[in-house]
This record gives sequence, structure tokens and C-alpha cells, in this order.
Amino acid sequence: MNDQLLAAVSQYGAPALFGIVAIAAIGVPLPITLLLIIAGSMISQGAMNPWWAIGLAGAGSILGDQAGYAVGRWGGPAVVAKLSGLFGKRASLPAVEAKTKAWGGPGIYITRWLLSPLGPWVNLASGTAGYPWHRFLFWDALGEITGAVVYISLGWFFSDRVMALEAVLGDLTWAMAALLAAIILGWQLAARLRKAGAG
Amino acid sequence: MGLAFVLAIAGTFVFAYRAGRRARHIRAENEPIRAWMTIPFIAHTHHLPAAALFQAIGVHPQEPRDRRSVRHIAHDLNRPVAELMTQLQRAIDAAAQPPGGHPR
Repeated sequence: MNDQLLAAVSQYGAPALFGIVAIAAIGVPLPITLLLIIAGSMISQGAMNPWWAIGLAGAGSILGDQAGYAVGRWGGPAVVAKLSGLFGKRASLPAVEAKTKAWGGPGIYITRWLLSPLGPWVNLASGTAGYPWHRFLFWDALGEITGAVVYISLGWFFSDRVMALEAVLGDLTWAMAALLAAIILGWQLAARLRKAGAG
Repeated sequence: MGLAFVLAIAGTFVFAYRAGRRARHIRAENEPIRAWMTIPFIAHTHHLPAAALFQAIGVHPQEPRDRRSVRHIAHDLNRPVAELMTQLQRAIDAAAQPPGGHPR
């Protein structure tokens, strides 16, 4: 299926990009980073308008994110459980909800583009946690536009090396996720050691 | 939790190292041909004129810009995708090393 999506963006341009990123933002695992890089490469070849590409990629992602948030906020527990089941691990939604409350806006921002696999979870969790909609919209729009600009610019700059660039970004994303996990675990370990030392 | 912390640190270094190594060679590696790519896209990634690649596979490009993927063209021509990709790769290799000349 990925091949057909990539071909659709190459053939139909920004409108195809809009539809695919919207579906991905709801929670369907699709190669969005690669699609944005390809869009950047197509811009450098004169095959796509940069403003349309950034605008439609950003708008599609925001639309999908807002749908996820709306389901979390107003969908009810049955719909939330069904949608979160699509992502894989049904049990981890409460954990994400607790993290969303703790991280707030910056957490929403960072999961739009840097730790994007967590994005659909954070959308749902923000809704179920009752995070204010206007704040969610602000951080969501900021993050999605950042992501569109960053990845499309990278694709434009490395327009003849899209597959190699995607591999580099894949490793970087995992490195960032591992670093984030190390920071959280390190912080919890330090707190535990402090408590043990005090007791 | 201690073990998870050590694994997370190790994962950070492993993936950062891999990313760094790939990034250093990003300009040296040849881009692979994929079935979703269009001929102008392949031509751009290999710094060749699209007309040369269209000619190599015996296709007259659609105007003004042929956005069909390799898979789409193969379907239109009723030919296997792999055969078309091999022809394209041969044309790219031939352009990189012209007969009697030095590699580009």
C-alpha cells in the first residue's frame, strides 16, 4: 500500500498529500516523513508548489489531529477504546493521558513532528483528559506546520537523496525516542534513590 | 528500571551513531529505483535528463510532464515492473560509465 501512496503523491501532488496526512494523523501508520521529503524533492524539481505543499500537508494533519481529539473529548469510552485499539495497545491510553496532562502544550508540539508516532495517542488522550481545545489547536497547528516546513525543506535540500535521507531521519527519530526514555527513566531512578537515601 | 535505563542509553548511542554514519555517506550512496517513482524523479536523483531514461525504456513521455510511476508505465506497456527497473538501472549505469570513458 505504501508504494501506491507514494505514487499517488508523485502523480497527484499536494491534494493527495492532504488526504494521506489527514488519515495518518487519525492513527493509521503511513510513511508521512518520507511523503513530506518526496514533496520537498518534487518542489525542487518544479513539480509542486511549495506553499500549496506546506499549506495542504499542515491542514491535512491538523484536520486528522482534531478528529482524534474530538473522538477523545466527545466520542465516549466505547469509541475511544475502539479507536485506540486500532493503534495497537489499548491499555496504554491512560498512561499517555497522564503524560499529556504533565507535559501540556510542549508535549503536544513535540509529538506533532519529532516524536510523531505518539501523535495519535496524544490527540485522543488530550480529548479524554479534557485539555482545553483552543490550546490544543494552537500547539497542534504550530507543531504540524513546523513538521511540514522541516521535512519538506529537508526534502528540497536533499532532493536527489530522498531514500537515504529517510533512513537517516528514521534512525534519528529512534535516537530521540531512546533519549527521551533515558531522561524519564533517569529522572525516576534519581527520585527513587533520593527517597531511599532520605529513608 | 535500572536495566531499562541502561538499554535506553545504549539505544540512544546506537541509533545516533547509525544516523551519523548514514548522514556522512548520504551524498556518496546511489539512490535505489522504486516502482512508485516517476521517470523525471529517477532522472533527478541520478542527475540525468528524463528524456534519456524514457528513451531507454522505449516510452514516449506524456506532455507536459509525465507523472506516471514506473509501475503505472509497466502496466500501460503490459510489461513486468522488474524488467523496466532493470532497463532503467542499466541506462543509469551506462550514463555513469560511458563506453571507453571514465566513470562520472
